[in-house]
Amino acid sequence: MSRVEIRVTITSDQDIVLARQKGRSLALELGFSSGDATLIATAISELARNIVSYARRGEIVVKDVQGSSRVGIAVTASDNGPGILDVGQALRDGFSTSGSLGLGLPGVRRLMDEFEIFSKPGQGTKVMVKKWRP
Amino acid sequence: MKAARGRKSGEQSKFEIEYAAALREYAMGGGEAVLGQAYELGRRAIAERKSLLELVSLYHQILRGLFESSPDRSSQEHLVSAGADFLSECVSPYEMAQRGFQDAVKALRQLNETLEEEIKRIAYSVHDQAGQLLVAVHLGLANLAQELPEARRQQIHEIEELLNEVEKQLRRYSHELRPTILDDLGWIPAVRFLAEGVSKRANLPIHIEAKISGRLPGTIETTLYRVVQEALNNAVKHAKAKNVWIRAWLKDQVLHCSIRDDGAGFDAQAAQAARGRKGLGLIAMRERLSAIGGTLWIESSQKHGTELLIKLPMEDNHVNSSSAS
Repeated sequence: MSRVEIRVTITSDQDIVLARQKGRSLALELGFSSGDATLIATAISELARNIVSYARRGEIVVKDVQGSSRVGIAVTASDNGPGILDVGQALRDGFSTSGSLGLGLPGVRRLMDEFEIFSKPGQGTKVMVKKWRP
Repeated sequence: MKAARGRKSGEQSKFEIEYAAALREYAMGGGEAVLGQAYELGRRAIAERKSLLELVSLYHQILRGLFESSPDRSSQEHLVSAGADFLSECVSPYEMAQRGFQDAVKALRQLNETLEEEIKRIAYSVHDQAGQLLVAVHLGLANLAQELPEARRQQIHEIEELLNEVEKQLRRYSHELRPTILDDLGWIPAVRFLAEGVSKRANLPIHIEAKISGRLPGTIETTLYRVVQEALNNAVKHAKAKNVWIRAWLKDQVLHCSIRDDGAGFDAQAAQAARGRKGLGLIAMRERLSAIGGTLWIESSQKHGTELLIKLPMEDNHVNSSSAS
Protein backbone atom coordinates (compact mmCIF):
# COMPACT_ATOMS: atom_id res chain seq x y z
CA MET A 1 0.00 0.00 0.00
CA SER A 2 1.28 3.39 -0.78
CA ARG A 3 0.46 6.45 1.23
CA VAL A 4 1.66 9.11 -1.16
CA GLU A 5 1.04 9.30 -4.87
CA ILE A 6 2.08 12.30 -6.94
CA ARG A 7 1.19 12.68 -10.60
CA VAL A 8 2.97 15.05 -12.93
CA THR A 9 1.86 15.57 -16.49
CA ILE A 10 4.85 15.76 -18.78
CA THR A 11 4.79 17.90 -21.88
CA SER A 12 7.88 20.07 -21.57
CA ASP A 13 11.27 20.46 -19.94
CA GLN A 14 9.67 22.48 -17.12
CA ASP A 15 7.48 19.48 -16.31
CA ILE A 16 10.58 17.31 -16.13
CA VAL A 17 11.93 19.66 -13.48
CA LEU A 18 8.69 19.38 -11.49
CA ALA A 19 8.72 15.57 -11.70
CA ARG A 20 12.34 15.50 -10.55
CA GLN A 21 11.54 17.75 -7.64
CA LYS A 22 8.58 15.63 -6.55
CA GLY A 23 10.58 12.44 -6.84
CA ARG A 24 13.55 13.84 -4.98
CA SER A 25 11.55 15.24 -2.08
CA LEU A 26 9.54 12.04 -1.70
CA ALA A 27 12.77 10.03 -1.72
CA LEU A 28 14.24 12.22 1.01
CA GLU A 29 11.02 12.01 2.99
CA LEU A 30 11.17 8.22 2.80
CA GLY A 31 14.67 8.27 4.23
CA PHE A 32 16.81 7.79 1.14
CA SER A 33 20.27 9.37 1.29
CA SER A 34 20.75 12.52 -0.75
CA GLY A 35 23.00 10.55 -3.11
CA ASP A 36 20.25 8.02 -3.74
CA ALA A 37 17.71 10.83 -4.09
CA THR A 38 19.94 12.30 -6.80
CA LEU A 39 20.02 8.97 -8.63
CA ILE A 40 16.23 8.75 -8.40
CA ALA A 41 15.94 12.25 -9.87
CA THR A 42 18.33 11.11 -12.58
CA ALA A 43 16.13 8.13 -13.43
CA ILE A 44 13.08 10.42 -13.55
CA SER A 45 14.97 12.76 -15.88
CA GLU A 46 15.75 9.95 -18.30
CA LEU A 47 12.20 8.58 -18.25
CA ALA A 48 10.61 12.01 -18.65
CA ARG A 49 13.06 12.89 -21.36
CA ASN A 50 11.92 9.88 -23.35
CA ILE A 51 8.30 11.01 -23.00
CA VAL A 52 9.10 14.51 -24.26
CA SER A 53 11.24 13.29 -27.14
CA TYR A 54 9.15 10.34 -28.38
CA ALA A 55 5.57 10.76 -27.16
CA ARG A 56 5.44 14.50 -26.51
CA ARG A 57 2.91 13.98 -23.74
CA GLY A 58 2.71 11.60 -20.85
CA GLU A 59 2.70 11.25 -17.13
CA ILE A 60 5.14 10.49 -14.33
CA VAL A 61 3.75 9.05 -11.12
CA VAL A 62 5.90 8.78 -8.02
CA LYS A 63 4.76 6.93 -4.95
CA ASP A 64 6.07 5.13 -1.94
CA VAL A 65 6.07 1.34 -1.74
CA GLN A 66 5.59 -0.28 1.63
CA GLY A 67 6.96 -3.80 1.57
CA SER A 68 6.60 -6.16 4.51
CA SER A 69 10.03 -5.29 5.81
CA ARG A 70 11.24 -2.50 3.59
CA VAL A 71 10.36 0.84 2.13
CA GLY A 72 10.92 1.99 -1.38
CA ILE A 73 9.96 4.44 -4.05
CA ALA A 74 8.21 3.62 -7.32
CA VAL A 75 8.28 5.73 -10.44
CA THR A 76 5.95 5.04 -13.33
CA ALA A 77 6.31 6.77 -16.66
CA SER A 78 3.48 6.27 -19.11
CA ASP A 79 2.51 7.76 -22.43
CA ASN A 80 0.25 7.10 -25.39
CA GLY A 81 2.99 7.75 -27.88
CA PRO A 82 4.11 5.61 -30.79
CA GLY A 83 5.37 2.82 -28.51
CA ILE A 84 8.47 0.74 -28.96
CA LEU A 85 8.65 -1.85 -31.72
CA ASP A 86 11.38 -3.92 -30.15
CA VAL A 87 11.60 -3.51 -26.38
CA GLY A 88 14.60 -5.83 -26.06
CA GLN A 89 16.48 -3.70 -28.53
CA ALA A 90 15.59 -0.49 -26.72
CA LEU A 91 17.14 -1.91 -23.57
CA ARG A 92 20.40 -2.79 -25.25
CA ASP A 93 23.24 -0.35 -24.72
CA GLY A 94 24.26 0.06 -28.30
CA PHE A 95 20.79 0.76 -29.67
CA SER A 96 20.57 4.51 -29.20
CA THR A 97 23.16 7.23 -28.95
CA SER A 98 22.42 7.81 -25.28
CA GLY A 99 22.34 4.06 -24.68
CA SER A 100 25.81 3.62 -26.08
CA LEU A 101 26.98 6.04 -23.40
CA GLY A 102 25.28 3.97 -20.72
CA LEU A 103 22.43 6.50 -20.39
CA GLY A 104 18.78 6.22 -21.47
CA LEU A 105 16.63 3.23 -20.56
CA PRO A 106 19.57 0.84 -20.04
CA GLY A 107 21.03 3.43 -17.66
CA VAL A 108 17.77 3.76 -15.73
CA ARG A 109 17.62 0.00 -15.32
CA ARG A 110 21.03 0.02 -13.69
CA LEU A 111 20.22 2.83 -11.28
CA MET A 112 17.07 1.22 -9.94
CA ASP A 113 16.45 -2.11 -8.22
CA GLU A 114 13.44 -3.14 -10.26
CA PHE A 115 12.56 -2.33 -13.81
CA GLU A 116 9.54 -3.27 -15.90
CA ILE A 117 8.53 -2.04 -19.30
CA PHE A 118 5.38 -2.56 -21.34
CA SER A 119 5.14 -1.24 -24.84
CA LYS A 120 3.50 -2.02 -28.13
CA PRO A 121 3.66 -0.09 -31.37
CA GLY A 122 0.75 2.36 -31.46
CA GLN A 123 -0.21 1.71 -27.86
CA GLY A 124 2.22 3.80 -25.92
CA THR A 125 4.82 2.87 -23.37
CA LYS A 126 4.77 2.27 -19.64
CA VAL A 127 7.93 1.97 -17.60
CA MET A 128 7.75 1.08 -13.91
CA VAL A 129 10.84 1.27 -11.74
CA LYS A 130 11.43 0.80 -8.05
CA LYS A 131 14.24 1.49 -5.69
CA TRP A 132 14.38 0.09 -2.18
CA ARG A 133 15.85 1.99 0.71
CA PRO A 134 19.04 0.20 1.77
CA MET B 1 35.30 18.06 -27.86
CA LYS B 2 36.79 19.58 -30.96
CA ALA B 3 36.22 23.08 -29.66
CA ALA B 4 37.87 22.23 -26.38
CA ARG B 5 41.00 20.94 -28.08
CA GLY B 6 41.37 23.75 -30.54
CA ARG B 7 40.98 26.48 -27.95
CA LYS B 8 43.64 28.78 -26.71
CA SER B 9 44.15 28.62 -22.98
CA GLY B 10 42.18 31.20 -21.06
CA GLU B 11 39.39 31.27 -23.56
CA GLN B 12 36.14 29.81 -22.23
CA SER B 13 34.08 27.29 -24.13
CA LYS B 14 30.34 27.54 -24.46
CA PHE B 15 30.05 24.62 -22.10
CA GLU B 16 32.18 26.30 -19.46
CA ILE B 17 30.21 29.52 -19.69
CA GLU B 18 26.91 27.68 -19.28
CA TYR B 19 28.33 25.61 -16.47
CA ALA B 20 29.55 28.67 -14.59
CA ALA B 21 26.23 30.46 -15.06
CA ALA B 22 24.25 27.47 -13.79
CA LEU B 23 26.44 26.98 -10.75
CA ARG B 24 26.21 30.67 -9.91
CA GLU B 25 22.47 30.62 -10.30
CA TYR B 26 22.09 27.59 -8.08
CA ALA B 27 24.27 29.13 -5.40
CA MET B 28 22.03 32.19 -5.47
CA GLY B 29 18.99 30.12 -4.65
CA GLY B 30 18.02 28.50 -7.94
CA GLY B 31 16.03 25.35 -7.21
CA GLU B 32 15.25 22.09 -8.94
CA ALA B 33 15.21 23.75 -12.38
CA VAL B 34 18.93 24.53 -12.07
CA LEU B 35 19.65 21.05 -10.68
CA GLY B 36 17.90 19.68 -13.76
CA GLN B 37 20.18 21.86 -15.82
CA ALA B 38 23.21 20.59 -13.89
CA TYR B 39 22.13 17.08 -14.76
CA GLU B 40 21.77 17.97 -18.44
CA LEU B 41 25.22 19.57 -18.39
CA GLY B 42 26.68 16.37 -16.97
CA ARG B 43 24.91 14.39 -19.65
CA ARG B 44 26.28 16.67 -22.33
CA ALA B 45 29.77 16.40 -20.87
CA ILE B 46 29.59 12.61 -21.33
CA ALA B 47 28.33 12.96 -24.87
CA GLU B 48 31.21 15.33 -25.61
CA ARG B 49 33.61 12.81 -24.04
CA LYS B 50 34.74 15.17 -21.32
CA SER B 51 36.59 13.34 -18.61
CA LEU B 52 35.14 13.33 -15.13
CA LEU B 53 38.30 14.93 -13.78
CA GLU B 54 37.99 17.71 -16.31
CA LEU B 55 34.44 18.34 -15.12
CA VAL B 56 35.38 18.31 -11.45
CA SER B 57 38.29 20.65 -12.01
CA LEU B 58 36.00 23.03 -13.89
CA TYR B 59 33.60 22.89 -10.95
CA HIS B 60 36.37 23.60 -8.50
CA GLN B 61 37.66 26.53 -10.48
CA ILE B 62 34.23 28.16 -10.67
CA LEU B 63 33.38 27.45 -7.05
CA ARG B 64 36.62 29.01 -5.93
CA GLY B 65 35.78 32.19 -7.84
CA LEU B 66 32.36 32.33 -6.20
CA PHE B 67 33.85 31.54 -2.82
CA GLU B 68 36.34 34.38 -3.01
CA SER B 69 33.63 36.87 -3.84
CA SER B 70 31.33 35.67 -1.05
CA PRO B 71 30.84 38.49 1.42
CA ASP B 72 30.71 36.53 4.68
CA ARG B 73 31.08 33.21 6.39
CA SER B 74 27.44 32.20 6.24
CA SER B 75 27.17 32.80 2.51
CA GLN B 76 30.36 30.78 2.07
CA GLU B 77 28.82 27.92 4.02
CA HIS B 78 25.71 28.11 1.91
CA LEU B 79 27.85 28.10 -1.24
CA VAL B 80 29.73 24.98 -0.21
CA SER B 81 26.59 22.98 0.49
CA ALA B 82 24.79 24.23 -2.63
CA GLY B 83 27.91 23.39 -4.62
CA ALA B 84 27.86 19.83 -3.31
CA ASP B 85 24.26 19.36 -4.51
CA PHE B 86 25.10 20.84 -7.86
CA LEU B 87 28.20 18.71 -8.32
CA SER B 88 26.53 15.43 -7.40
CA GLU B 89 23.76 16.26 -9.85
CA CYS B 90 26.09 16.76 -12.77
CA VAL B 91 28.18 13.73 -11.84
CA SER B 92 25.10 11.53 -11.65
CA PRO B 93 25.06 10.72 -15.40
CA TYR B 94 28.66 9.53 -14.99
CA GLU B 95 27.47 7.18 -12.26
CA MET B 96 24.91 5.79 -14.68
CA ALA B 97 27.48 5.43 -17.44
CA GLN B 98 30.02 3.87 -15.09
CA ARG B 99 27.53 1.19 -14.04
CA GLY B 100 27.01 0.50 -17.72
CA PHE B 101 30.73 0.06 -18.28
CA GLN B 102 31.01 -2.25 -15.29
CA ASP B 103 28.32 -4.43 -16.81
CA ALA B 104 30.03 -4.32 -20.18
CA VAL B 105 33.37 -5.39 -18.71
CA LYS B 106 31.71 -8.24 -16.86
CA ALA B 107 29.97 -9.35 -20.03
CA LEU B 108 33.21 -9.14 -21.97
CA ARG B 109 35.01 -11.34 -19.48
CA GLN B 110 32.19 -13.81 -19.52
CA LEU B 111 32.30 -13.80 -23.29
CA ASN B 112 36.02 -14.59 -23.26
CA GLU B 113 35.38 -17.57 -21.02
CA THR B 114 32.49 -18.76 -23.16
CA LEU B 115 34.60 -18.42 -26.28
CA GLU B 116 37.40 -20.39 -24.69
CA GLU B 117 34.96 -23.15 -23.73
CA GLU B 118 33.57 -23.17 -27.25
CA ILE B 119 37.05 -23.39 -28.76
CA LYS B 120 37.83 -26.29 -26.44
CA ARG B 121 34.66 -28.05 -27.49
CA ILE B 122 35.33 -27.60 -31.21
CA ALA B 123 38.95 -28.67 -30.84
CA TYR B 124 37.76 -31.78 -29.03
CA SER B 125 35.17 -32.63 -31.67
CA VAL B 126 37.64 -32.18 -34.47
CA HIS B 127 40.31 -34.20 -32.77
CA ASP B 128 38.57 -36.97 -30.89
CA GLN B 129 35.19 -37.44 -32.44
CA ALA B 130 36.28 -37.07 -36.04
CA GLY B 131 39.30 -39.20 -35.16
CA GLN B 132 37.07 -42.03 -33.92
CA LEU B 133 34.99 -41.91 -37.05
CA LEU B 134 38.13 -42.16 -39.11
CA VAL B 135 39.21 -45.24 -37.17
CA ALA B 136 35.86 -46.82 -38.02
CA VAL B 137 36.36 -45.98 -41.68
CA HIS B 138 39.83 -47.54 -41.56
CA LEU B 139 38.40 -50.75 -40.11
CA GLY B 140 35.67 -50.84 -42.70
CA LEU B 141 38.16 -50.41 -45.48
CA ALA B 142 40.44 -53.10 -44.07
CA ASN B 143 37.52 -55.54 -44.02
CA LEU B 144 36.59 -54.60 -47.53
CA ALA B 145 40.17 -55.02 -48.70
CA GLN B 146 40.23 -58.62 -47.51
CA GLU B 147 37.33 -59.49 -49.72
CA LEU B 148 38.80 -57.86 -52.77
CA PRO B 149 41.21 -59.32 -55.28
CA GLU B 150 44.83 -58.29 -54.92
CA ALA B 151 44.64 -55.84 -57.85
CA ARG B 152 41.90 -53.74 -56.20
CA ARG B 153 43.60 -53.70 -52.80
CA GLN B 154 46.11 -51.19 -54.03
CA GLN B 155 43.26 -48.74 -54.59
CA ILE B 156 42.03 -49.24 -51.06
CA HIS B 157 45.54 -48.65 -49.84
CA GLU B 158 45.63 -45.32 -51.65
CA ILE B 159 42.35 -44.30 -50.02
CA GLU B 160 43.83 -45.22 -46.65
CA GLU B 161 46.81 -42.99 -47.33
CA LEU B 162 44.47 -40.10 -48.06
CA LEU B 163 42.58 -40.78 -44.87
CA ASN B 164 45.82 -40.66 -42.92
CA GLU B 165 46.49 -37.29 -44.43
CA VAL B 166 43.01 -36.10 -43.42
CA GLU B 167 43.63 -37.29 -39.90
CA LYS B 168 46.94 -35.49 -39.70
CA GLN B 169 45.39 -32.25 -40.90
CA LEU B 170 42.49 -32.51 -38.48
CA ARG B 171 44.88 -33.08 -35.63
CA ARG B 172 46.88 -30.02 -36.62
CA TYR B 173 43.78 -27.81 -36.82
CA SER B 174 42.64 -29.06 -33.48
CA HIS B 175 45.97 -28.32 -31.84
CA GLU B 176 46.14 -24.89 -33.34
CA LEU B 177 42.69 -24.10 -32.01
CA ARG B 178 43.63 -25.18 -28.56
CA PRO B 179 46.74 -27.18 -27.86
CA THR B 180 46.10 -30.08 -25.53
CA ILE B 181 49.61 -29.35 -24.28
CA LEU B 182 48.13 -26.28 -22.63
CA ASP B 183 45.98 -28.46 -20.40
CA ASP B 184 48.45 -31.31 -20.09
CA LEU B 185 51.80 -29.58 -19.69
CA GLY B 186 51.08 -25.88 -19.16
CA TRP B 187 51.41 -22.58 -20.93
CA ILE B 188 55.18 -22.54 -21.48
CA PRO B 189 55.27 -25.86 -23.38
CA ALA B 190 52.15 -24.69 -25.24
CA VAL B 191 53.89 -21.46 -26.21
CA ARG B 192 56.92 -23.49 -27.38
CA PHE B 193 54.62 -25.66 -29.47
CA LEU B 194 52.91 -22.61 -30.93
CA ALA B 195 56.18 -20.83 -31.62
CA GLU B 196 57.49 -23.89 -33.43
CA GLY B 197 54.51 -23.85 -35.78
CA VAL B 198 54.56 -20.09 -36.34
CA SER B 199 58.31 -20.12 -36.85
CA LYS B 200 58.03 -22.79 -39.52
CA ARG B 201 55.08 -21.24 -41.31
CA ALA B 202 56.36 -17.66 -41.28
CA ASN B 203 60.01 -18.57 -41.64
CA LEU B 204 60.76 -16.46 -38.58
CA PRO B 205 63.25 -17.44 -35.87
CA ILE B 206 61.57 -17.33 -32.46
CA HIS B 207 63.90 -17.54 -29.49
CA ILE B 208 62.41 -18.74 -26.26
CA GLU B 209 63.96 -18.46 -22.84
CA ALA B 210 61.72 -19.48 -19.98
CA LYS B 211 62.97 -19.65 -16.42
CA ILE B 212 59.72 -20.77 -14.98
CA SER B 213 58.43 -24.19 -14.17
CA GLY B 214 55.32 -25.50 -12.51
CA ARG B 215 51.70 -24.96 -13.24
CA LEU B 216 49.26 -22.10 -12.77
CA PRO B 217 45.47 -22.17 -12.56
CA GLY B 218 43.80 -22.98 -15.89
CA THR B 219 42.29 -19.57 -16.63
CA ILE B 220 45.63 -17.87 -16.01
CA GLU B 221 47.54 -20.26 -18.26
CA THR B 222 44.95 -19.88 -21.00
CA THR B 223 45.11 -16.09 -20.76
CA LEU B 224 48.90 -16.01 -20.92
CA TYR B 225 48.84 -18.36 -23.88
CA ARG B 226 46.24 -16.29 -25.76
CA VAL B 227 48.08 -13.03 -25.16
CA VAL B 228 51.38 -14.49 -26.39
CA GLN B 229 49.51 -15.94 -29.36
CA GLU B 230 48.09 -12.52 -30.25
CA ALA B 231 51.50 -10.90 -29.80
CA LEU B 232 53.06 -13.46 -32.12
CA ASN B 233 50.30 -12.91 -34.68
CA ASN B 234 51.00 -9.18 -34.59
CA ALA B 235 54.73 -9.71 -34.99
CA VAL B 236 54.16 -11.89 -38.05
CA LYS B 237 51.33 -9.94 -39.64
CA HIS B 238 52.15 -6.30 -39.02
CA ALA B 239 55.71 -5.99 -37.81
CA LYS B 240 57.53 -7.91 -40.56
CA ALA B 241 60.00 -8.96 -37.91
CA LYS B 242 63.20 -10.91 -38.57
CA ASN B 243 63.44 -12.28 -35.06
CA VAL B 244 61.17 -12.69 -32.09
CA TRP B 245 62.32 -13.25 -28.53
CA ILE B 246 60.02 -14.63 -25.89
CA ARG B 247 61.27 -14.55 -22.34
CA ALA B 248 59.50 -15.54 -19.16
CA TRP B 249 60.86 -15.19 -15.67
CA LEU B 250 59.80 -14.72 -12.09
CA LYS B 251 61.04 -11.76 -10.08
CA ASP B 252 59.82 -10.59 -6.68
CA GLN B 253 56.77 -12.82 -6.87
CA VAL B 254 55.81 -11.26 -10.18
CA LEU B 255 55.65 -13.31 -13.34
CA HIS B 256 57.19 -11.45 -16.28
CA CYS B 257 56.80 -12.41 -19.88
CA SER B 258 58.29 -10.32 -22.64
CA ILE B 259 57.59 -10.72 -26.34
CA ARG B 260 60.00 -8.63 -28.36
CA ASP B 261 60.54 -8.30 -32.08
CA ASP B 262 62.89 -6.38 -34.36
CA GLY B 263 60.17 -5.43 -36.79
CA ALA B 264 58.62 -2.21 -38.00
CA GLY B 265 57.25 -0.94 -34.68
CA PHE B 266 54.32 1.41 -34.35
CA ASP B 267 52.99 4.32 -32.33
CA ALA B 268 51.70 2.40 -29.32
CA GLN B 269 49.68 5.28 -27.94
CA ALA B 270 48.00 6.07 -31.23
CA ALA B 271 47.25 2.41 -31.87
CA GLN B 272 45.53 2.03 -28.53
CA ALA B 273 43.59 5.25 -28.89
CA ALA B 274 42.52 4.33 -32.40
CA ARG B 275 39.40 2.30 -32.80
CA GLY B 276 40.94 0.26 -35.56
CA ARG B 277 41.47 -3.47 -35.40
CA LYS B 278 45.03 -3.13 -34.26
CA GLY B 279 44.03 -0.93 -31.35
CA LEU B 280 41.29 -3.36 -30.46
CA GLY B 281 43.74 -6.24 -30.35
CA LEU B 282 45.92 -4.42 -27.84
CA ILE B 283 42.93 -3.36 -25.79
CA ALA B 284 41.62 -6.94 -25.79
CA MET B 285 45.02 -8.24 -24.61
CA ARG B 286 45.13 -5.70 -21.84
CA GLU B 287 41.55 -6.48 -20.85
CA ARG B 288 42.18 -10.23 -20.77
CA LEU B 289 45.19 -9.68 -18.56
CA SER B 290 43.44 -7.31 -16.22
CA ALA B 291 40.76 -9.97 -15.69
CA ILE B 292 43.44 -12.12 -14.01
CA GLY B 293 45.14 -9.19 -12.28
CA GLY B 294 47.91 -8.68 -14.81
CA THR B 295 49.17 -5.66 -16.73
CA LEU B 296 50.57 -5.10 -20.18
CA TRP B 297 53.38 -2.69 -21.04
CA ILE B 298 53.91 -1.82 -24.65
CA GLU B 299 57.01 -0.23 -26.00
CA SER B 300 57.37 0.28 -29.67
CA SER B 301 59.43 2.45 -31.92
CA GLN B 302 60.17 2.38 -35.58
CA LYS B 303 63.87 1.77 -34.97
CA HIS B 304 63.74 -0.81 -32.25
CA GLY B 305 60.68 -2.88 -32.98
CA THR B 306 58.10 -3.76 -30.39
CA GLU B 307 58.21 -5.19 -26.91
CA LEU B 308 55.19 -6.33 -24.99
CA LEU B 309 55.77 -6.99 -21.33
CA ILE B 310 53.25 -8.93 -19.32
CA LYS B 311 53.43 -8.62 -15.55
CA LEU B 312 51.36 -10.79 -13.32
CA PRO B 313 51.72 -10.78 -9.54
CA MET B 314 51.68 -14.34 -8.22
CA GLU B 315 49.65 -15.29 -5.23
CA ASP B 316 51.51 -17.36 -2.67
CA ASN B 317 49.79 -20.59 -3.61
CA HIS B 318 50.91 -20.23 -7.20
CA VAL B 319 54.53 -19.67 -6.44
CA ASN B 320 55.06 -22.79 -4.35
CA SER B 321 55.27 -25.06 -7.32
CA SER B 322 56.75 -22.54 -9.71
CA SER B 323 59.95 -21.23 -8.21
CA ALA B 324 62.40 -19.51 -10.49
CA SER B 325 65.48 -21.46 -11.45
